[in-house]
Order: sequence, then structure tokens, then C-alpha cells
Amino acid sequence: MKITAILLFTALMPLGAQDIKMPASLEKLAAKADETVDVTLDGSLLKLAGRFLSDKGADEAAVKKILAGLESVTVRSYEFSREGQYDPADLDEIRAQVKAPQWSRIVGVRSKKDRENVDIYFKDAGNGNLGGIVVLVAEPTELTIVSVVGTLDPSQLASLGGQFGIPKFDFEIGSIGWRREGK
Amino acid sequence: MNPRLLALFLAAAGAAYSADHEFDRVVSAVEKHYGVKRTHIPLLGLANFVVRVSHPAGTSGVKVAIFEDLPSAVGGDDLADLDRFMDEVCAGRLHPMVVTRSRRSGESNYILTGEVGKSTRVLIANFEPHEATVIEVTVDIETLLKMIGSPENAHRLFQDKHDDDDGGR
Repeated sequence: MKITAILLFTALMPLGAQDIKMPASLEKLAAKADETVDVTLDGSLLKLAGRFLSDKGADEAAVKKILAGLESVTVRSYEFSREGQYDPADLDEIRAQVKAPQWSRIVGVRSKKDRENVDIYFKDAGNGNLGGIVVLVAEPTELTIVSVVGTLDPSQLASLGGQFGIPKFDFEIGSIGWRREGK
Repeated sequence: MNPRLLALFLAAAGAAYSADHEFDRVVSAVEKHYGVKRTHIPLLGLANFVVRVSHPAGTSGVKVAIFEDLPSAVGGDDLADLDRFMDEVCAGRLHPMVVTRSRRSGESNYILTGEVGKSTRVLIANFEPHEATVIEVTVDIETLLKMIGSPENAHRLFQDKHDDDDGGR
């Protein structure tokens, strides 16, 4: 029974920890972009950071608490010199992955004025926790993709912004009020 | 000697050798690939000693190699070539945590690590149009997170230190 339980747990674990795969087409975008940032942090670093980080300041304590539950953080950010350097279809492969039943699009902003499109997807981990977040920010000359895998309390989300190349976000769940800092 | 102690000692020695080997391998690869020699830094040994003893900003055991007079294409237009080069040199041994590339400034930064622990050996490679810097250093987790948060400045932390030690060289 014990062996069966271990096998079952091992078989199910990758499902819970499943990462969003960054499409190969993004590599082509890197070749066109003026500025690119790639951040790939795995669970071992995040867990260690959660264990060894100081929690003296309120911000540090908040980050430390979040990190303890994270399994991966992936950020891909591209800045182009002119419009039309990327195709909105470049994000289709990611959108297809977050169409799975456990994912929900919580925030969707289409700004005609700034021509900025923002989509935020949450993965339900049960018990009121999140199992992952995907953020897609598409502007005429900028594209940012963030994937965070791990258990998160929704109230901790704001503390993740500004860390590891993740843009600073300030959004309220429920009211769908969303604001990108600095805009 | 206690066999367990001996095994621990050998494992630690092996890890240290492997870390040294990574730095030397990357430096040799840059020299070979771009046909340049690293610039001699006077008093680098003293700088290493100071860093080892005082552990400023959560660091120890820093090694620095600076390359000047690199071909102008490096870190300039051919960023894909640089990516391929770093992938080949580090494949299977070091994992890229952060990579930044700027076509505007011609600067690329790579922060790579082996196995992450309370202290982590980090390899930082900075390429600019005519200059490159390769740094290997052991950092604590807070310093590593700072580097990840500000990758463009990671190499400057150590270069400034050496500039001071070299009398503003």
C-alpha cells in the first residue's frame, strides 16, 4: 500500500507542478527585440531563498513567505524598436495551455488608448490557494510573459511584482481593478 | 582517517575543483572563440584575499577575467552567436538563471549557477561591444537574489572592487 501511495503521488506530482511551456517562437522574437530579459528560476533556488532570506523588513518577510511555496518563476520580456515586430499569434501557444479546466482568466484588459492588452490567468490549487499564475502583457512595442508555478495565497500576489523581473502589478481580485505600476 | 570524513573531504575537494574548472573553461573558451587574451589585473591576488576574508556583500572566492579589444560584433549585432556560444560552453554544467541582451547598448549579461545552496557558486558573464568580463564568485542567497533583480549591475559589484584595489585602474 505504501509503495502504491508513493507511486501514485509521484505520478500525480508533475501534474500539480506542471509548468507553462514557453513556445519556441519566442526565441525568434529575441532575435528581433532591442532589449530582452529571460529569467528562469527553479524550485531549489526559490525554496532555499524562502528558507534563508532575512525576514526583518515587512517586504522581505512577505517575499520570504511567498517563495516558500513556489516551484518556478519564468519571465520573458521583449522590447522592440518599432511596432509590428511580433505577432499576437506568438502568444497563442501559451493561451492554449491556460485553457485547461483548472485555469481561469481573472483579468483581461484591452486599452484602446494605450493599446495595451493584459491577461492574467490563475490556476486553482484548491483550498482557496492558487497553483500558478500566468501574466501576458502585450503593448505595441513590448511583450512580457510571466509564469509562476507553486502554491500562493491570492493576497500575497502584489508582493511578487518587482521581484525577479516580474512587472509591478497592483490589482484587486474581485473588482477586476487592475493597474500596471508606472503607467 | 574516518572513511566518512575522508569521503566528505573528497566530495568538497571535488566540488571546489569542479567550480575552478568551470571558470577556467569559460575563460579559455572566450579566448579561443574570440581570439583574445585576458587582461592581466595587477594585485588581483590581494583583491581575492581581501574578498575572501571580509566577505563583502555576502561574497567569497571571487575570480575575475577581463577581456579587452574584443571584436566589435561581440555583444553587438550578433547576439544569437553569443547565446549559442554561452549555451555550448555551459551546457549541462551551469544553468542560466538570468539572461539580458540589449541591442541598443550592445550589452549582454548572463548569470549562471550550478547547484544552488545556502552559498552558491555563480558565474557572471558580461559582454559589451569591445569588452567582456567573466566572474566566478560564491554568494549567499540574499546576494544571489539581488543579482537576479539587477543583472546588469551584477558584474560591476566586483569590477568596482578591483578598480579600487588596482588604484583606480
